Amino acid sequence: MQHEAFANTEDFGGPDIVAAPGRASRPGQDEPYAQYALGKPYDEMFTPGGQARAPYAAIDARLATLPLEELNRRQQACEQSFLHQGITFTVYSDNRATERIIPTDLIPRVITAPEWSRLEAGLTQRIHALNLFLRDIYNDGRVLKDGVIPRSMIYGSKHYRREMRGLPVPHGAYVNICGSDLIRNERGEFVVLEDNLRVPSGVSYMLANRDVVRRAFPAVFRSMGVRPIEHYPLELLATLRSLVPFHEDVSIAILTPGVFNSAYFEHAFLARQMGVELVEGRDLLINDNVVYTRTTSGLKRIDVIYRRVDDDFIDPLVFREDSALGVPGLFNAYRAGNVIIANALGTGVADDKAVYAYVPRLIRYYLAEEPILDNVETFLCREEKSLQHVLANLDKLVVKAVGESGGYGMLVGPHASQKEREDFAEKIKADPENYIAQPTIQLSTAPTFVGNGIEARHVDLRPFILHGAETKLVPGALTRVALKRGSLVVNSSQGGGSKDTWVLSQ
Amino acid sequence: MLSRVADSLYWMARYIERAEHTARLIAVKLESMVEQTPEDAAASWARVIEALTGEKTAPSHLDAFAITKRLAFERDNDSSLITSLALARDNARQVREALSNEVWENLNRLYLRLTPVTMDSIWVHTPARLFREALEEMHALEGVTYSTLSHGEGWYFLELGRHIERVQQLGRLLDLHFTAAQSENGPKYFDWLVLLKFCSAWEPYTKEYTASIRPQKIAEFLLFDSEFPHSICFSVDRMSEALARVAPGAPPARRAAVERLAGRLKSAVDFGQVDELMSGGVAGFIADITKQCEQIHKALYASYITYGAETVL
Repeated sequence: MQHEAFANTEDFGGPDIVAAPGRASRPGQDEPYAQYALGKPYDEMFTPGGQARAPYAAIDARLATLPLEELNRRQQACEQSFLHQGITFTVYSDNRATERIIPTDLIPRVITAPEWSRLEAGLTQRIHALNLFLRDIYNDGRVLKDGVIPRSMIYGSKHYRREMRGLPVPHGAYVNICGSDLIRNERGEFVVLEDNLRVPSGVSYMLANRDVVRRAFPAVFRSMGVRPIEHYPLELLATLRSLVPFHEDVSIAILTPGVFNSAYFEHAFLARQMGVELVEGRDLLINDNVVYTRTTSGLKRIDVIYRRVDDDFIDPLVFREDSALGVPGLFNAYRAGNVIIANALGTGVADDKAVYAYVPRLIRYYLAEEPILDNVETFLCREEKSLQHVLANLDKLVVKAVGESGGYGMLVGPHASQKEREDFAEKIKADPENYIAQPTIQLSTAPTFVGNGIEARHVDLRPFILHGAETKLVPGALTRVALKRGSLVVNSSQGGGSKDTWVLSQ
Repeated sequence: MLSRVADSLYWMARYIERAEHTARLIAVKLESMVEQTPEDAAASWARVIEALTGEKTAPSHLDAFAITKRLAFERDNDSSLITSLALARDNARQVREALSNEVWENLNRLYLRLTPVTMDSIWVHTPARLFREALEEMHALEGVTYSTLSHGEGWYFLELGRHIERVQQLGRLLDLHFTAAQSENGPKYFDWLVLLKFCSAWEPYTKEYTASIRPQKIAEFLLFDSEFPHSICFSVDRMSEALARVAPGAPPARRAAVERLAGRLKSAVDFGQVDELMSGGVAGFIADITKQCEQIHKALYASYITYGAETVL
């Protein structure tokens, strides 16, 4: 007999079957959807009338025949698998470190082929415009001279890196790896909520989720024509290589803050999948403006650094001097052209809340095209007309200070008292340039397994865009899900989980 | 190979070896204590504690439950089984990209399975069984490492860590037993048998020397047998091999510093004679071997891992 501590807990169950469509379960009425709430937000799986949408038919049929205990068992097998692979982040409390996984919900989220091609075109357009914008503000500043975007907004941004002015960047590609956050609005259209242009993470979860969900629903997966995503590391490698043209033997390294970083698993995962070195700041040293790693045989030169360390911490001689994560002298090596850093430094200036509101105008300005993907409607209080609208509709809007993050300096109009709104209105009037406002955002909902049934939970979408000599999107994304009923917070630190995202080939 | 990666691989292997040694000593001790008088069992437990922690304990207050708990599961004990595994895993986590998935997952699974185990849950049945199973898992880990990892530089750093640790652990066990043999109340027949089992050497020994238990033959086997994997000689041979294979591109001067020490250690073991050692010289010989291993460790670090950048630019 095996000791119980050694029992195999990673069994995903027998072969899956594609069930014939038969009995229809109505959300809000029948199991397993008895507690499934359809409301104002767009639902990914059900029409407002409670019919499963066509792309979800096979999933609906399978869920109708799969006993909940079985789904539960597969869910646990999936969690075990993550734990064994070490796909965890560490929570520190009471001096004890606990390793947690980010829960993966097994029910996949489906994106149809037309939806994806629109996303792909829209995100490609967006990253082109953003890169042109970055090149412009770090060189001629044409967009400022033409008055498209206020000078103070750029030069006053804490993410603007004066040190980057006039520095050539290969292919003009400042942002090589981008992970944009999108949501689906009440009309079912994808809109961009945020451009993450610094060090976006999550792509390893996209790949890990696929791995377990495909094992949990093999037949449904095969039957639906889901596009593969496993080549992401290859595409990333090609993108990084393309930054050093005319060079046969490019030496690439991923720079990680180290094992205590919450995304460390991802850094190690990508290094392994690409077959490149994973380095920490202490492994690197600079001599004569050339970057080397310290190896057992001596020093080895590095040509490209995919850095997962923020600007502020990358070089204590130039940025924060108290940084122990960075490499003294790295920026000078970069300035000398002896090493490529991806993403380039200073990209954060283009993803703050105020610049975000200008992205549609930047697309028109640089590309002379209409934006394919919309922003969430945003009112800039610095513009008189918007200011009047915001002040008149404070009870319906969320107002945010542009320089702040993490919920500071924010007014959630519908939840605020009359007094709070009046006080906030004074603040806005005193410094309108510092505020933007957005309608309260409704994220779409998707079916999520909650232990005793399947309920609707809010989701967003984070696709990953690669941009070097060319722009590429792997057809997939990380779908983040707010696991608490009614919650709109998808962040993993606050009870969020994730889902596999199936992009269909037709 | 990055110096930091080499460092982590080396320590990962040392801690796994330490964990394996700890698990084996506990398993063998738990299995053998039922056949001993309480006094003999206590003396033998005291040797196990000293071998694993360096602490001397009065054999009179020994409680198998408390000792097992301390040696296996207490995290504030720097050399407990769970601490060694946790440290091995921490090192492995830092070099995930230098390990195969299989190696990492085997180690991680073993750690996660032992983490929630309590003494009460194992004590009710056959306490040794858990440690036997852990040993099986560690052997599986060794096999998986052998068959899924390229036998390149990283592999040889693992070999170095494993065998330097093995020499140290074996040395301590032998030292304790042969020093005790000089006193009146020294190890008895059964203790020598248990010593062989501590080193998983019982069957290989009998094949070589028949089942007759003689301390001199045991010393000869565990010190000088070149084929048995838990002998000093075997580990020293593996260390020499590994040292020739790591840091292939390092400058000759730095290589020479390490290889000279390795050559000296190898010749000490190759030309050692057991009959010269039996009149009390085992302890001195082992002390010398252990000291040489420490020098090799230091030279290894100075030449390949912590060297100053200014020395190579």
